[in-house]
Amino acid sequence: MPVREGVVTIVQESRFQLVGDDGSAHLFILGRNAAGEADQLAPLQRRQARVRVEYARTRNLIGFVAEKISVCGESGR
Amino acid sequence: MTMHPRAADFPQSDLPGVIPHESELTAGVRIEPGRSYGFFTDTTVCIGCKACEVACKEWNNLPADNLGLTGHSYDNTGALSANTWRHVAFVETSGCGGVRDTVEAPFQSGWLMMSDVCKHCHNAPCLEACPTGALFKTEFDTVVVQQDICNGCGYCVPACPFGVVDVSPVDGKAHKCTLCYDRLKGGLEPACAKACPTDSIQFGELSVLQARAEERVAVLHERGVPGAYLYGTPGAPGATGDLGHLNAFFLLTARPEVYNLPAAPTRPANRVAPSLASGLAAVAGLAVAAAFLLGASDRRRS
Ligand code: SF4
Ligand code: SF4
Repeated sequence: MPVREGVVTIVQESRFQLVGDDGSAHLFILGRNAAGEADQLAPLQRRQARVRVEYARTRNLIGFVAEKISVCGESGR
Repeated sequence: MTMHPRAADFPQSDLPGVIPHESELTAGVRIEPGRSYGFFTDTTVCIGCKACEVACKEWNNLPADNLGLTGHSYDNTGALSANTWRHVAFVETSGCGGVRDTVEAPFQSGWLMMSDVCKHCHNAPCLEACPTGALFKTEFDTVVVQQDICNGCGYCVPACPFGVVDVSPVDGKAHKCTLCYDRLKGGLEPACAKACPTDSIQFGELSVLQARAEERVAVLHERGVPGAYLYGTPGAPGATGDLGHLNAFFLLTARPEVYNLPAAPTRPANRVAPSLASGLAAVAGLAVAAAFLLGASDRRRS
């Protein structure tokens, strides 16, 4: 599964924007099978936390499905 | 619209933060809980620029969807969906079969454009159908889905008479326009209305918008547009079938169906009692018929 690391800069419902070290921003949607809820995303944005996202591609959508998010330096969830 | 006197207090380009009650400066209305807010969409001034669609996607961090060309005029958005909460419809009216003509009367256009959105119905059928209470009425009299409570059952989808709310297969939750609930709480005008360059989308207090819309219809009638009418105001088309009124209402110049709006939407809850009664009557009828047939076969045997 592809992985991307970066900082969560925008959160709306289950959607978030991740900005990588190269400055590129990508839109992710928390997948239905991800072990996490949308309300856990806002604190990540407030902390400007550095996270590692395992994701899958989507059909007919410019965005990725986040399957697993782990805060860098903490265990995954 | 004249400039709000408070606008002179903020002449600089770089602001230290959000202007308090910014909507007073941009929409001429102060947003306060307990009041009723909505959109008045005047389709006669829509130029089809899709700034509203883009502003909505930007603010709500919604992904681009329906990639590719639909082949339907300049409309490549297609329809409202879980990822598209504003949809600018392009209707080509002149020529045979709806195909754009090459000749037009001077200063006239064969285009009808309308920025469609959730209607934030007064008696919202989606909310009535929701078994978890995820859909609720906010303190601004708008209808919003609470994402942490939605279980993705999809009951709201067929309940909506306008085909607005949609369950996303990606996160399994229902999504639709929130009338920028987060912006309203911060005193900001919704993103689409703020971005609209022609004020086709106007945000404000519902009673003020309804009065303004009536005036606009009168002006259009005077100017020789006799077909202009409101859709979704109390007693008008669109506010039928016990929906009450629509907080997001429209000024149209052709039949509602031309814009893909239902002519007489209804509240599905009105059909619960008749369907239950007809179901019970059918069961009772079948029970009587079975009793009669079993009784007849018993009589034959004895
Ligand atoms: S238009 Fe549909 S989704 Fe919007 S409030 Fe009315 S019933 Fe609900
Ligand atoms: S921003 Fe205004 S003018 Fe542009 S498409 Fe939307 S409603 Fe029409």
